[in-house]
Amino acid sequence: MTTGFWHQAAAVVHRDLLRERRRGDVLWITIPFGAIALLLVPLAVGTDAILLRQIGPGMYWVIVMLFGVLVSVGKASNETLPQQDASALLGLDPASGFVGRATSATLLLLIFEMVVGVVAVGLYDISIIGIPWLIVTLIIVAIGLALLGTLTGSIVNSTSAGTALVPLLVAPLSVPLLLGATQSYEGLRLGHSILSWVLLMVAVVLIVAIIGVLTARPLQEM
Amino acid sequence: MQAQTRNRQWPWVAIVLSLAVAFTLSMVSPADSVQGDLVRIMYVHVPAAWLAYLAFFVTFVGSVGYLITKDLRWDRIAAASAEIGVYFTGLAIALGMIWAKPTWGVWWTWDARLTLTAIMFFVYLGYLALRRTTDDPVVRAGRSSVLGVLGALQIPLVHFSVVWWRTLHQPPSLVRPDGPAIQDPLMLTALTVGVLAFTVVYGSLMVKRIELIKLDDRKVAIEQSIERPVAGEAVTVPDLGASS
Amino acid sequence: MSDWGWVAFAYAVAYGSLGVFAGSIAVRIRNTRRSIGETE
Repeated sequence: MTTGFWHQAAAVVHRDLLRERRRGDVLWITIPFGAIALLLVPLAVGTDAILLRQIGPGMYWVIVMLFGVLVSVGKASNETLPQQDASALLGLDPASGFVGRATSATLLLLIFEMVVGVVAVGLYDISIIGIPWLIVTLIIVAIGLALLGTLTGSIVNSTSAGTALVPLLVAPLSVPLLLGATQSYEGLRLGHSILSWVLLMVAVVLIVAIIGVLTARPLQEM
Repeated sequence: MQAQTRNRQWPWVAIVLSLAVAFTLSMVSPADSVQGDLVRIMYVHVPAAWLAYLAFFVTFVGSVGYLITKDLRWDRIAAASAEIGVYFTGLAIALGMIWAKPTWGVWWTWDARLTLTAIMFFVYLGYLALRRTTDDPVVRAGRSSVLGVLGALQIPLVHFSVVWWRTLHQPPSLVRPDGPAIQDPLMLTALTVGVLAFTVVYGSLMVKRIELIKLDDRKVAIEQSIERPVAGEAVTVPDLGASS
Repeated sequence: MSDWGWVAFAYAVAYGSLGVFAGSIAVRIRNTRRSIGETE
């Protein structure tokens, strides 16, 4: 990979963030959607403080997995076929396109996690423990989910696909991230070692990243 | 020109003046016998909550007004009020939480009023998200006004369902969002002045926000009306001096 | 945190956010006027 690779990826990140700034899909739609999902759950299961403190962390991570993946989906991040053709003709390396899109999705997911996290802490009275490892978990999950969403989006790559297809495909594949994140929080709470869970999540990140980069050009040529 | 600029700034002046008065009263009024100085938070929380509901009502009125008259001025009122309403709803919730933490030890309680306010916040937010999806003022007004009416008419049903739910599952009786009733006349004055001041703030923000909407619509209209000559017009037949 | 600390926090949030909100409207008005080319 030449320096041009990272330049191109950076340009893609810049373009995606500009798009988000203009459209505001994540800020105005995806984040509120995740937040109101957190609001609805206690209306349904009951507002007993002990119950909410128990289910709070798990609910938060489920919302991140199911709703957070939406930052990789939708008109802001998917390019139309003519736009993809233009990118190809301009000589944009599809692998750097993939890395760029996954990076911008990661950044947006981090914002999603933080805003929705504040809502979760407020509504469910979650106690925040082990902040350094918590931050590590948030970052790894963001990267892993962004990679899954971006790669799945490239695989599906169809405007006629239902809006739920990418989330459907990502959901089962996100289980290692979900378990890693929730078990890490439990482990921090109980004082156990969480290293194995963290390594599991890192493994997910590495595998999806490698597959994504290697299949970027073949997927574009399909 | 100077006079025009000065005239346009009066809303900001009104905001600063009214808040200065309200703040002074909030600080000199006595502490509450039960809540202590925390009651002063009520002097901004209650006005913010009042404005949240007022703004929501104005959005409803504006939406109905547009649907009946198709005059965009109604839509501008609805939209400006929705954005200001989102802000005050969020502020009311935040201030309520800041009051609740030292009072009860928790940031959030699931009583009917708080839950309803939170739901209202998301209804507003959705309205604003919808408006962002189109630039065309007429299309945007049409869609927003239907959503505005839908949201407003649904709110009583949401209110009933949440209140009913709460009466079936009584929260601890300690938990009342307003705390003990305020009776001391100085405290009542501080509260009333706070409500009045925030209403002035709402009115001033409405004036300015509607001004911004008109400016944005004018800008979009200008951008869309610029005639771009077809390339061929740049090429003219050379004048070779032949008489027609 | 003392009671006055919470009160100060609340008022900082209230007036600070109001300043930001009102300020953003003012800035957007000024920028839009400039881009339309009005000199008033």
